[in-house]
Amino acid sequence: MTNKKKPVAAARAKTITTAPAKRSTPVGDGADAQQQLVASRVRAGLFALFTLLSLAITNGSAGVEGKFAFWVDKIGGTDVSFSVPVVLLWVAVTAGFGAMAALQFVRGASFRWRLAIGLISPFLVFALLARLLDGTTANLTVFFTSTLLYTVPVGIGALAGIVSERSGILNISVEGKLLFGAMIGSIASSITGIAIAGPIAGAIFGALVSLFFAWLGIRYKVDQIIAGTVINIGALGVTTFAYLRILQPYSEFNRPIGITPIQIPFLSDIPVLGPILFSLSPFFYIAVGLVLFFTYMIYRTRWGLRLRAAGEQPNAAGTVGIDVVKLRYRAMLIAGLLAGFAGSYISLSGTGGFGINTSAGQGFIALAAVIFGAWNPVYAFGAALIFGMTSAATTLLSGLGVTIPPQILLSMPYIVTIIVVAGLIGRVRAPASAGRPYDQG
Amino acid sequence: MNGLKKFGSKIRVPALSISVALLVGALFIIFTDIEVLGGLLSDPIGALSLGIGRAATAYSALFRGAFGDPETIGKALASNGDIKLWARALRPIVESVVASVPLIFVGLGVSVAFRTGIFNIGGAGQYTMGAVGGTIAALAFGAGVTPAPIAILLVMIFGVVGGAAWAFIPGYLKARVGASEVITTIMLNFIAGQFVFFLVSNFEFIQKPPRIQPVSKELSQFVDLPGILPIAALRMDISIIIALLTAVAVSWFLFRSTRGFELRAAGLNLAAAKYAGIGAGTSIITAMLISGAISGLGGALVAVGTIKQLSPGIAGSVGFTAIAVALVGGTRPSGVVATALVFGLLQHGGSLMQVQTGIPIEMLLFIQALVIAFIAAPDLTLGILKNPFRRRPRSVAK
Repeated sequence: MTNKKKPVAAARAKTITTAPAKRSTPVGDGADAQQQLVASRVRAGLFALFTLLSLAITNGSAGVEGKFAFWVDKIGGTDVSFSVPVVLLWVAVTAGFGAMAALQFVRGASFRWRLAIGLISPFLVFALLARLLDGTTANLTVFFTSTLLYTVPVGIGALAGIVSERSGILNISVEGKLLFGAMIGSIASSITGIAIAGPIAGAIFGALVSLFFAWLGIRYKVDQIIAGTVINIGALGVTTFAYLRILQPYSEFNRPIGITPIQIPFLSDIPVLGPILFSLSPFFYIAVGLVLFFTYMIYRTRWGLRLRAAGEQPNAAGTVGIDVVKLRYRAMLIAGLLAGFAGSYISLSGTGGFGINTSAGQGFIALAAVIFGAWNPVYAFGAALIFGMTSAATTLLSGLGVTIPPQILLSMPYIVTIIVVAGLIGRVRAPASAGRPYDQG
Repeated sequence: MNGLKKFGSKIRVPALSISVALLVGALFIIFTDIEVLGGLLSDPIGALSLGIGRAATAYSALFRGAFGDPETIGKALASNGDIKLWARALRPIVESVVASVPLIFVGLGVSVAFRTGIFNIGGAGQYTMGAVGGTIAALAFGAGVTPAPIAILLVMIFGVVGGAAWAFIPGYLKARVGASEVITTIMLNFIAGQFVFFLVSNFEFIQKPPRIQPVSKELSQFVDLPGILPIAALRMDISIIIALLTAVAVSWFLFRSTRGFELRAAGLNLAAAKYAGIGAGTSIITAMLISGAISGLGGALVAVGTIKQLSPGIAGSVGFTAIAVALVGGTRPSGVVATALVFGLLQHGGSLMQVQTGIPIEMLLFIQALVIAFIAAPDLTLGILKNPFRRRPRSVAK
């Protein structure tokens, strides 16, 4: 149980001794504070770089009009359009980045850079869109709603990852559970003809798969990454097999009752905001509710305290009488319910039902959101929103025939994740025991 | 006798795992058959026998696809050296071996990392980037620009560089800042796929004219790997020989060289290895470089020699299967080669099964998942062998 990463930490401490030892907020021991200082300098440098980049774009976009439209009452109803000089947007973004760089430099480790990135990202995407559209009108109602809808599976999947990893089980199997949830949800909804049967069946099946995963990892102490790989490969195999063998030839099993958007009374009548925020798929509102609920549960309840204890110091938790094994099984059960539910959204929200590999890596983006959000449900949901926005921007741009290689945008979540995991722009710390089997003795 | 016994105990768990997984696969075939399911209530015996019959047909097609049709082989034997008949008789087994080549390479690459205690699941990405390197080398130096042997050598070198470079990123990050290689390699797999997509849809140098599909030009016009069989109709090229040589080299490296010893020591107990003066960071980076280089070499050879085209999905399920191959083969080069051959047989047999009986080849993914689970949980597998229904005493878990 001794810390395997020690040599690495030592190597890290060695590499940064050359950094200037100046004032910083004293957090942790010397090496730790040093490292945070370096990370904050890197961040300040990155923000400064972005400031320069956006200054360059500002210079290049004189005279371009950004034309946007909103649906006022409902999608496809009357619209209102407006135009802003793109330069103005970019001046704002440049100022924002400049302020971030300066604040980051001055305030060091205590600057809340995550929040700052969260605040500036929407403006950045917006300004980028305006620049790339180059005068074509883009409908932002569609853009924002699709952002929010892309967020649903990733956000709930991330929540599943957080619950299991907080309990000490490294869960790379979210992708597999999304696939299972999508298929079972579609089949259940098609057979029963009841709309709500889909998400319920998806969630239950996700929980079963998750328990199998936990059984391998806890009972047989199978390496949790191998167990996760088993689930992911198995899910791809089983669902594709079942699709080709049953769902495709007998398509009556793959005609789910779609879960249609709901209009929230009164709120959905608000002009402009109504169609964006208050006439979405019920999944979205459930997702927001779940995120708030689990934030409360993890940080404010006894269950949450025990969950975190099991993930950080299972031996200590065991010593004070917490049944770590049972707790981990329960956490995996919850994670499975969440992931299966998220999966059912994928096949039930669109029109096509289930398709081969329909989750298309969203489970791994959820994993990225977990890390980017530092294992905090709200932050992870924010990360999912940013990733959702890049997906929505890709869709919007390709729909309007703007030729920018979408592969670059689509790679963004993965690149960002690598940068975050590498700790270049700031440290995220996984629950200390995530991935280690627990010996109850 | 003793040696035989040792061999037997070594392959007991892998052999049992694969057999049980195939049995479960048969159950899967039976119980996903709508006709069987429909008749299960009214005529259970009839429905079950129908299902079992279908599973048997499917597996016999898989067998014939893997090894060849006994009837055709008999004809070839009787024909007194008719090349055409022989080609037809041998094609399945040759194709099975060809299908195992990428698995040998990536399986070996992944094994080197596993031995060093690094869970490199980026085999797919490194293989893909090797394919990118090989393709670029073929396009740049093939078609008479340089003599064929040199072009082939360059293809291999570019493949090695591509794979090693891609593996260096997670290796460096793991060694220097402790970034989890699991996460970084997963992400890099996706980025590699997107990168290929970007390459084959944006560059005239690479994209196949008329530049509509996101695929590269036909590489057979540029570099052709020489075949090794006397029958020209059978496409087995030198990549299988290079694969076997690589296996020998990896075996020598891991078990006979100082550096390999250090890597294995780091994999077994990093703290102890560090105490003995083995640099943890260097071991990790070295292992990842070697791992990526081998996978990349495989990617280059398969892209240029077998598939003869670069496309975004070139890795297919190789990355997944290679993990199964490495684990089942006990991360030992001999075991990896043997397992890769078994999975190659399953792969090619599975494609005939799909054509003849309509049972999707994706069943193999499911079988691989089961095999990995069985191998990773030897207690579970041996428990099945002893008595599948006996509950183990709870004291083991407590």
